[in-house]
Amino acid sequence: MNDDELLSELGEAVRAAEEVPASFVAAGRAAFAWRNLDAELAALTYDSATSGVLAGTRSEPAALRALTFVARELTIELEVTPDALLGQVVPPQAGELELLGRDGSARTASVDEIGWFAVRPAPVGMFRLRLRTADGASVLTEWTTL
Amino acid sequence: MIATVRDDPTVVDLVERARDGDQGAWDGIVERYAALVWAVCRRHGLSGPDAEEVASCVWLRLVERLDGIREPAALPGWLATTTRRECLYYLRTKNRLVPVEDDERIVQGDDPAADEWLLRQERHIALRAGFAELSDKCRWLLSMLFREPPASYSEISAELGMAVGAIGPSRQRCLDKLRTSRALAALLDPPAAGAAGAAGAGGAAGMDKR
Repeated sequence: MNDDELLSELGEAVRAAEEVPASFVAAGRAAFAWRNLDAELAALTYDSATSGVLAGTRSEPAALRALTFVARELTIELEVTPDALLGQVVPPQAGELELLGRDGSARTASVDEIGWFAVRPAPVGMFRLRLRTADGASVLTEWTTL
Repeated sequence: MIATVRDDPTVVDLVERARDGDQGAWDGIVERYAALVWAVCRRHGLSGPDAEEVASCVWLRLVERLDGIREPAALPGWLATTTRRECLYYLRTKNRLVPVEDDERIVQGDDPAADEWLLRQERHIALRAGFAELSDKCRWLLSMLFREPPASYSEISAELGMAVGAIGPSRQRCLDKLRTSRALAALLDPPAAGAAGAAGAGGAAGMDKR
């Protein structure tokens, strides 16, 4: 890259950044407040909505959305039905579940001794789950969008 | 974290401090890459509150992945891919049409034009970072030269109190400093192999899934 090219691309780069609205950058700074400090993060390892695309075969539109989150000691399996979010904690164990929304909302549900739970109605948009098991472990799933 | 030759030490430092809870370091990461996230949103026709909504989702995902960043050089690729996905999701839920072929090609990330575009964005990020580290004098001079239309040498001379004959050599010195800045050095003179690969069409390279 010679001097003229470098200068011209520098100008382009600086102007591109000047076009970014301040509120857009501010929204990014604010995201740090959501940093998770106390719970283990459970990663999304399976999502029926994307696995079909990646494998080159789309799932049937009518199929229920299924998601799997994996933490070190446990797995959370989710199934989204039209009116509820159904789940199973593996290995089965009781606990308290919280459904957290982007707007700061939280809804709670109990997880029974065989690890089942249901949250009604199903969430809309972005959410995450916080699970506190009976033996005191705390797990937080990745943000997920329905 | 494995810092590679492609990694600007500034980014390595920002990521490490953000992991320790330093909001200022996180702000530095956002400021460095916001223009990239914005550019991806614009490519999908999103701006204003729509783009902010998408960006918030992207940054939330990065916040929780801070511990999983192995190579900061993979950050732009990961951000571009994640932003594309969030844009497509946003467009779908808003009942706007997204051509299926586009959708799949983008999610799979094997589009040479997209790779080219991303490399250019990475260069822009490095150029801005290198530019920010220059002396005030260099930044003033280069700003006058790259603005559209560029300032004439006589305007520059009057504005910066610099002899017209000194402008050419100063321009060259400032551009040399930019080239050798930490952010740009690795990008402009990349190691023989792997530079394009690290730009990561899939964007997953160097980011732990956890």
